[in-house]
Order: sequence, then structure tokens, then C-alpha cells
Amino acid sequence: MVAEVAPVDPPRLVIGVIGDDIHIVGNRIMQLALEESGCRVFNLRTRNRPEHFVQAALEVNAHAVFVSSLNGEGEHWCADFRRPFEALGLGHVLLYVGGNVVVGSRPEPEVVSLFKSYGFDRVYHQRPDIGAAIIDLFEDLKHGASQP
Amino acid sequence: MARPSPEARLRGIERQREQVLSHPLARGLRTDEVARHLAGLPKRRFPSIRYAERERGMPLLQPRGGTPIFEEQLRLTRMLSDAGADFVPLTIDSCTRHNQYDTASQLLRRSEEEGKAYLNGYPLVCHGHELTRQLYTGLDKPVSLRHGTPDARLLVELAIGSGIAEIEGGGLCYSLPYSEGFPVDRALLYWQYVDRVCALYSTPERPIHRESFGPLSATLVPPVIAIVIELVELLLAAEQGVLSFAVSFGQTGSFIQDVATAQVMRKLAREFLDEHGFAAMQVRLVYHQWMGQFPMQRERAAALIAGSAMVAGVIDADKVVVKTVDEALGVPRPEVNAEAVDSVRYVLRTFGTPAGVDSPAIQIEAALIESQVRSVMQAIFGLSGDAFWESVYRAFQMGWIDLPFSPHADNANKLVTMRDANRSIRIVEPGAVPVSAQDLVTERALLATRSDSEQKTYRRMLADIALMV
Repeated sequence: MVAEVAPVDPPRLVIGVIGDDIHIVGNRIMQLALEESGCRVFNLRTRNRPEHFVQAALEVNAHAVFVSSLNGEGEHWCADFRRPFEALGLGHVLLYVGGNVVVGSRPEPEVVSLFKSYGFDRVYHQRPDIGAAIIDLFEDLKHGASQP
Repeated sequence: MARPSPEARLRGIERQREQVLSHPLARGLRTDEVARHLAGLPKRRFPSIRYAERERGMPLLQPRGGTPIFEEQLRLTRMLSDAGADFVPLTIDSCTRHNQYDTASQLLRRSEEEGKAYLNGYPLVCHGHELTRQLYTGLDKPVSLRHGTPDARLLVELAIGSGIAEIEGGGLCYSLPYSEGFPVDRALLYWQYVDRVCALYSTPERPIHRESFGPLSATLVPPVIAIVIELVELLLAAEQGVLSFAVSFGQTGSFIQDVATAQVMRKLAREFLDEHGFAAMQVRLVYHQWMGQFPMQRERAAALIAGSAMVAGVIDADKVVVKTVDEALGVPRPEVNAEAVDSVRYVLRTFGTPAGVDSPAIQIEAALIESQVRSVMQAIFGLSGDAFWESVYRAFQMGWIDLPFSPHADNANKLVTMRDANRSIRIVEPGAVPVSAQDLVTERALLATRSDSEQKTYRRMLADIALMV
């Protein structure tokens, strides 16, 4: 079950879909789920570039950024994703990515380690429910990311 | 106040038309030559002729399909026609839909060089009308242009120039579900141009047929929104002189709601046309098989397609747009598309569908939907503006027309919907959509039949979206 209480009040999150990806349904559901769990959500919606996430995280002083990719463009756009955050002194921001983040079918461990190498704290490839990510978020907000 | 009126017909379209047709990819298309080509086509290439021949309870069938290489599209066209498709589709690639003709040309060349599709449809503007005509040499049934283009002016000129007599789309239905930022007022104006061009090429015996795309975002769209958008686009086309039009909707997931939606859509389409002086316009009803998430297992997909075919028969749709067992797996192969046509035909033939299926639950649903649609339409008619399209645009800006799960940045997103125990789509929060307080009470009473209200909203919504999986 999702932890009932968020450890910071309220967690400020930037969410959005990366690339020229127009898939909106999951994004709307994520906003709803995160808001229901007590988070303050800043939704960039569809068709974002990496710099949009960085800029938004700076503007709202975000605790975490959730990047979605449904059409697999994520692999292209997410390369070295953490670097511009660090350049702006935002290295502490938790970075999560999920959806169908690569094109075609590839083993999950390979996908996870690829995106970790891009600087993401957690990677959710082809998971049907965002519930697990919310539990992880609340855990990570207490003491930093812990996914192996 | 701006009601639909024949007075709103675009004047001075010639100059805009010259500009559109001066594009190098128009390849010197001459409208008088196109008119002669249309006059020389077999009569059954025109949808209104084919619709008039239809038997009751037997919807006409249309698969989907488009592929970049000409020879492959020719093969697909022949295969679908041989499989018994009543309408042959021409689905356009997404670069062309976004008017990115240079990219489409590059990817077409690459597809031709490598013998592999790098576009998800047929780039008609790159191929041109003279070559595209050759896809349909000897064909004795209508061709339907399927795309998703907010600015389809050049595409439609070339499609009609290719002898395609059915044009799908509209200013709302092709921007709200497909575009994140295309200005909706411009989309409405560009589609007035398209409607006008269709009307200019139409004769009473051989009208260019227009169709709107009622499934929209295909995600928890309540009937009132689908019907209002269909009626608005029907009336906008009528204003421009279009003589033959199909309204459509996507399978809702609820048998009751499908039957009720079909009843109300048919009834109000005729009523609003007649009321505004468009009695001469012919109107048809098209049903789209489930447009939401499809099961991965082919057996289940086949069962869903068969069940949906039954509904199409019960509502006596004029046409049904069919899905394939590979829907969840990617763009279907031509063979799979041909099989889909055959299996839907089999269901429709095997289970003769009775006329006038009705029940108290259907009547309650139909009365509720009709009341909501009338409220919203009257509100739109009452808006200020010099022309009906302006009232429509203002209604969208104010969130009176609010499409759930639209990617468009200007969509209000205040309307919240959920399924009841009958799987019918209910309005939980109307946002700014002007439905009556009484109708909202009814919506909420029907929603109260649902049993999982202790679950989180997003989990219930996920279950509603993945209904058929």
C-alpha cells in the first residue's frame, strides 16, 4: 500500500512526457495519483525537452522530477540527464523515469542500468501502476534514493 | 448570437485556394481537370451511392491501412478490396499530418531505397495526385481519407484530385485528440476551407462526402462531448454547402450507452440540420470498434472485435470501422486487416440483428444524453460572434467543450468522468460544461451503483481505461 503521509509537506514534483511524444493518458493519471497522495504537482504535459524539466525544477524548487516516455524516445533524450541539473546546483533533486522508455523489447536490467548511467535514481520500465513509484518516492524523500 | 447559417459560406476562397495550390507539391493541380476526373469515375466511388444501397442491419465495413511505398499501398488496397471491404482506406503518415512534407519526402525516399516502412502511412502530398489516382484504377467502391491533420488544405485538394470522395476530419476532432498546440481557431478556419472545397467539387448526384471523427481521445469520453463535437462539425460543414456527411462515435464499452448514443446522435443530427435550413444534407452514422487499449492476446482481441461487430449490427450503423487482432502489437499487416474484414462480416451475417432493440435502461440513458446535448448546444448557439465557428471556438476556450485526456494545451481538463456498474461513462465533475443540475444529479445517482468507491480515484480510473484488457 502507498504510505499515507508524505515525509515533507507537500513534496513538490515536476512531471512531464519527454520528446515529441503526445501520449497524455498516463501523464494525467500520474498527476491525479500524485495529488491524491498529497504531492504538489507541476505538470509540463507532453512534448518536452530535457531543459524544460531542469528549468521547471529550478522555478518550483522541486524535490523530484518524474520523466515519462511512452514512444521510446526516452533513450535519445534522457542521455546525461543529470548533468544540467548539477550545473544549476540541483544535483540533489531526485530523478525518476518511467513508461516504455526504449524502443523494442529489451531486458529490464539492461534498461535500468542504462538509465541509471544517465543519472536517474529510479527506473520504471513497462510497469502498469504508479503506486510502487509513490512508495519509493516517499522513502527516498526521507533518506535519498536506495534502488540498487 | 450566431446560429449555423448558409450565409456563413466562405466568400473569396479563390485567392486562398490559389495560394494553397501554388505549393510546388500541388504539381500544378487544376481544379477543372479534377472536376472532370470526378465526373468520369464509377458512381460507386461516391459514398452516398454506396450508402443508399446498404441493407438494414448490415453496416458497411471499412478497415484501416496506409503504408509509404506506392507499390505496397497498391497491394494493400487490392487485398482489402478483395477481402470484401466496402470502403477502401488511405491512412496518411504523421509527418504529412503535421505538414512536414520535407521530412515525409526524406523518409519516403529512405523507405523506397531500403524496402522498409519509415513512415506510418501513405505520404499523399509527396506522391502527388497523378500517381495516387493509379492506386484506384478500376476500383468500384469509395476510398476514405483517414489522417488527423489540423491544416489539411493541401492534403485534401490532392486527395480529391486523386479521386478520393470521402474526407474524414474536422477542426475540433482532428486537433483536440492529435495536437498539443495547433491553434484551434485556425484549425476551425482551415476545416471551413476543406468543407468549402468539398462542396465546390460536389454535385447532387456525386457529392464529396465528409465524415467527422467521434472517438476523439478514445478515453472516457462521455457521450455528450462526442455528440456535441459531431453536431458542431456537421453544422459547420452544412454551412459550407457539404451535401453528404457522417457523424461517428467510438464504442463506449457499455452496450446500453452505445445504443443510446446512436439513437440520440441520429435524432439530433437530423433535427439540427432541418432546423437550420439544411434539409437537403444526407447524414449517416459510423461506429468505430473499441478505440481504447486492446488485449495483447489475439484470441481476446478477436472476441472483442466480434462482440463489437454485434453492437454495430444492433445500432444498425451505416458503417463500422474495424480493428484487427494485432491492434495491441503495432501496425497490422495487410493479411491481418483482410482477416478482420472477413470476421466482422461473418458475425454480422451469422447473427441477424433485430430492429429497434430497446429497454428502460436504454431509454433513461438516451433521455439523459439528449438533455445534456441540448443544454450544451443551446448554450453554444447563444454565444456572441459573427459566425457559428466563432461561437464554437469561444465554447472551447471557456471549457464548455472539454475533452477528457486531450493532449491539447488549451483544453480545459475540468470535466472528470468515470464508469458506473453498467460500464457506462458518467460525469463526476462537469467542469464548465453547461449541463443542467438535474442531469448531474442523475449522473451521480447512476455512478453510485459502482462498488469500488473505497479505492483511490486514479486506480479506479486506470481500471476504467483498461476495461477491455
